[in-house]
Amino acid sequence: MAKVTLTPDSGFARELMDAGGDSLKKCYQCATCSVACPMAPANNPYPRKEMVWASWGQKDKLMADPDIWLCHNCGNCAELCPRGAKPADVMAACRNVVYKNLVQPSKVGEWMSSPKGLPMLFLIPAILWLVIWAIRAAIVGAWFPRTEDGRIVFGQIFYGDYTIDPIFMITFFGAVYLLYKGCSKLWNSFKNGDGKLVVIGPTKPWYYHLLMLLWEEVGSHKKFDTCTAGPKTGQPENNRKFGHMCMIIGFVSLMIVTAIVAGGHWVGKVVPVLSIETPMPLTFPVKLLANFGAVVLLVGLVVLTIRRKRQNPKFFASNYQDWYLLGVIWLVALTGCLSQLFRLADAVHCAYLVYYLHLVFVWMLFAYLPWSKLGHLAYRTCALLFVRMYGRG
Amino acid sequence: MSSAILVVGGGFAGLTAAIEAAELGHDVYIVEKTPFLGGRVAQLNKYFPKLCPPSCGLEIQFQRIRNNPRIKFFTLAEVTALSGSKGNYTVQVTLQPRHTAAHAVDLGFFASGLEGEAVNDFDFGLSTRKPLYKSAPFAFPSRYVLDPKSLTAADKAKAASCKFINLNEEARTIELQVGSIVVATGWKPYDVTNLSNLGAGTVKNCITNMQMERLASPYGPTAGKIVRPSDHVPPRRVCFVQCAGSRDQNHLNYCSYICCMASIKQCFYVAEALPDAHCDIFYIDLRAPGRYIKTLDKARASGKVSFIKGKVANVEQIEGDRVRVQAEDAVRGEKLTLDYDLVVLATGMQPSLSQENCPLPLPLDEEGFVMGGEEAGIFAAGCAVMPLDVTRSAQTGTAAALKAVQTVEGR
Repeated sequence: MAKVTLTPDSGFARELMDAGGDSLKKCYQCATCSVACPMAPANNPYPRKEMVWASWGQKDKLMADPDIWLCHNCGNCAELCPRGAKPADVMAACRNVVYKNLVQPSKVGEWMSSPKGLPMLFLIPAILWLVIWAIRAAIVGAWFPRTEDGRIVFGQIFYGDYTIDPIFMITFFGAVYLLYKGCSKLWNSFKNGDGKLVVIGPTKPWYYHLLMLLWEEVGSHKKFDTCTAGPKTGQPENNRKFGHMCMIIGFVSLMIVTAIVAGGHWVGKVVPVLSIETPMPLTFPVKLLANFGAVVLLVGLVVLTIRRKRQNPKFFASNYQDWYLLGVIWLVALTGCLSQLFRLADAVHCAYLVYYLHLVFVWMLFAYLPWSKLGHLAYRTCALLFVRMYGRG
Repeated sequence: MSSAILVVGGGFAGLTAAIEAAELGHDVYIVEKTPFLGGRVAQLNKYFPKLCPPSCGLEIQFQRIRNNPRIKFFTLAEVTALSGSKGNYTVQVTLQPRHTAAHAVDLGFFASGLEGEAVNDFDFGLSTRKPLYKSAPFAFPSRYVLDPKSLTAADKAKAASCKFINLNEEARTIELQVGSIVVATGWKPYDVTNLSNLGAGTVKNCITNMQMERLASPYGPTAGKIVRPSDHVPPRRVCFVQCAGSRDQNHLNYCSYICCMASIKQCFYVAEALPDAHCDIFYIDLRAPGRYIKTLDKARASGKVSFIKGKVANVEQIEGDRVRVQAEDAVRGEKLTLDYDLVVLATGMQPSLSQENCPLPLPLDEEGFVMGGEEAGIFAAGCAVMPLDVTRSAQTGTAAALKAVQTVEGR
C-alpha cells in the first residue's frame, strides 16, 4: 500500500467544533452512520469518512467533498451512533464552515458565524434605511406622513423608484453573483478534489439533471422521505418535509408577489394598463397570494421552530447558523405581517417603525445569503448537480 | 459474631469463592436463584481457555462441594433481607419450592409422560421443556425441579399420585448468620429487543451468541447440530455481529470484553461441524486479550473466517428466511449489503444486578456493576464487577474468598 502522510490540522478541527460539530472527537469509526444513512451511496459512503477527516482536520478534503451536501440532516446516524458523536451535526458544521469561507469578503462570513457579529450585521442595513428615512422625511416634510386622504402609504417614505427598488435590486443581484461565484468555486474544488473523475458511457445533459434534481428536492421533497427510510432507530420519526415545504411555498409565493409588484410598477410606467399601485386592496389576487404566502410561511416557521425545540439533545443540537436563519425569517415574516396590520389599524408610528425594521431584516436575509445557511439553496443544488452528473447520488 | 461466609450466586465465580473459603475451614452458604448450580458456564458448549465442555470444569467443582461438609447450598433461593453489620450479618433467604423429593430420584421417565410444555429459558427459547426437568445431564444438584404453572390438568392428577412429588410444598424463609458476604451475581445477556436496527429479536435466523452456544451444545435444542432455527437446515454463510449492544451509549456503554473471543470460538464450532460453511465477523475493534491472540491468529489462518472492520447497523429478514445485513467496510470505504443463512448477534454482558432491586447494601455504578462495598465486609466477584472470561471470574472468586476469610478470621 502506498504510504500517505497526513498532517493533522487541529485548528481546523477546532473551527468545525465551534461551528456546531463539538461532538466530533467522540467518534470511534464504527461505521454505523454510513449504514444508518439511507442516502449514502454504496461506494465511499458518508458520513464515516467525513468524521475521520474532521477529527484529523483535513480541511482540503472536506471542503472539496460534495457528500457534505448530499446529507439532508435527518439524524438517523446520530440516533444510532453508539458514541453520541452526532455525525449529522458534524456534517452541518462542515457546511457552516463552507458558508463562512466560500466567498469574499470573508469578514461577513466571520460575522455570520457567531452572535458576536450580530450587531454589525444589523447595524449596516439599520443605518442604510435610517439615512434613507431621514432624507425622505426631509423631502416629504414629516417622519410619519399620511396621504392627502389620510391613508398610510409606506411608499411616501420608502419610495420604490429611488429607494427600495434600486437598493434591493443591487442587493439581490449582488447576492446572486456571489452565489454564482461560490458555486463555481465549489464545482472546481469538487472536480479537482480527489483525483480526476471520468464518466464512462452515455451521459445526460446537465439541464436534464438539474430539472430532475429540482423536482426531487424542491418540487416533491422526495429526498426528505428517503431520509427517514433507513434502519429502525427506535426513535420517533423526524420528518421535516411539511415544515420545509411550507417555507418554500411561502417564499416562492412572496417572490412572485414581489416580482409582479415590481414588474407592474416599472412596466406600468410604459404600459399604463398593467400598472399596479400599492398598497393593493385586500381582495386583489396578488394581495391574496401575498397574504397566503405569509400565512404558509408562518406555519412553516412554527412547525420548524417547534421541531428544533423538541429535538432530543442526546442526538441533535441546533447550531448558531440554524437559529440565525430561523430568527431572521421569523423577523421578516412578523414585521411584514405586523406592518400591514398596523397600517390597516391606522397606527401610523408603529406602522412606519415596523415597516422600517421589515426592510432591515429583508435586507439582512438577502444581502448575507451567500454566507448564511440559506445559501444551501444554491450550494446544495450545485453539489447535487455535480454528483448526479458524475453518477453518484 | 459469625465466622460463616455467604456466597450469593452459584456460578463459576461464586462456586470458586465458596470452595476456596470452605477448604480453608470456614462454613459457607451458597444462595442460588435458579434450580441448579453452574451459572452461565453450564449453558456454554465449550469455554475458554482450553475450550472444554462445561461439564468438565463444573464436574470438579461440584465434586469438591459434595465432598466438603462445610458447604451448604440453597437453590431456587434469593436473599430477601439483610441486617446487622460486618462480622455479624443476619441474612433472610427465601426458598422457592422445588416440589420434588430431597434426594436424587430419576424422574426422567415420569417427566416424559407429562403433557405440559413450557419455553425452555435454559435454551433461550430455542426449545421447550417438560414441567418436570433438569437443565442439563450433569445438572447439580441432580434433582428434578417441578414447575407447577406449566402442568396440565391431567399432569396434575398424575403428579399428585407420584410419591416423589409434593405439589403442596410452599415457599419458606430461613435465616443465616454470617460474618462476611461474597456477591457473585453474574451477568445476563443484553436484551436484544432493545436493538431496533438489529431486528429487535424478531428476525428469524438471527440469534444471539448465547443461543448459538445452546445450538452447538450436545444437550442443547438440536443435540449439537448447528442449523437454522427456522427450518433446521445447516447454514452455509454465517455472520457474526460484534458489539450488539456493547460499547454503545444507548445500550451498554462499555466493552463486554469476551464477545470477540466468543464469536471466534463459535466460528470454530461452525468450521468443525460444517466444513463448507464460511463465517464473516463484523467488528469495530477486535479484542483478543493476552494469549487469546493465538486463537485469533488461528482463526485468521483457517481461511474459514473473514474479519470485516465495520459495525453491522441494519439487520432485516428477507425471502427464504435469510437475513440481510448492512455494514460499511471501513477499510475499503464500501457499504456492504450481504445475505446470510444465519446471523449471530454478539450481545454483551449486563450485570444481573442492573435494574434489579438488590436487598444487599451495594454501591453500583450506573451500569449496575458493583463498585466497592468492601468496608462492609461484602466482596464482589466475577461478572458482577466487570465483564470477564471464566478464568478471570475464577480468579476474582478466589480473591473475594480470601478477603472474606480475612474478614471473619479469628472471630
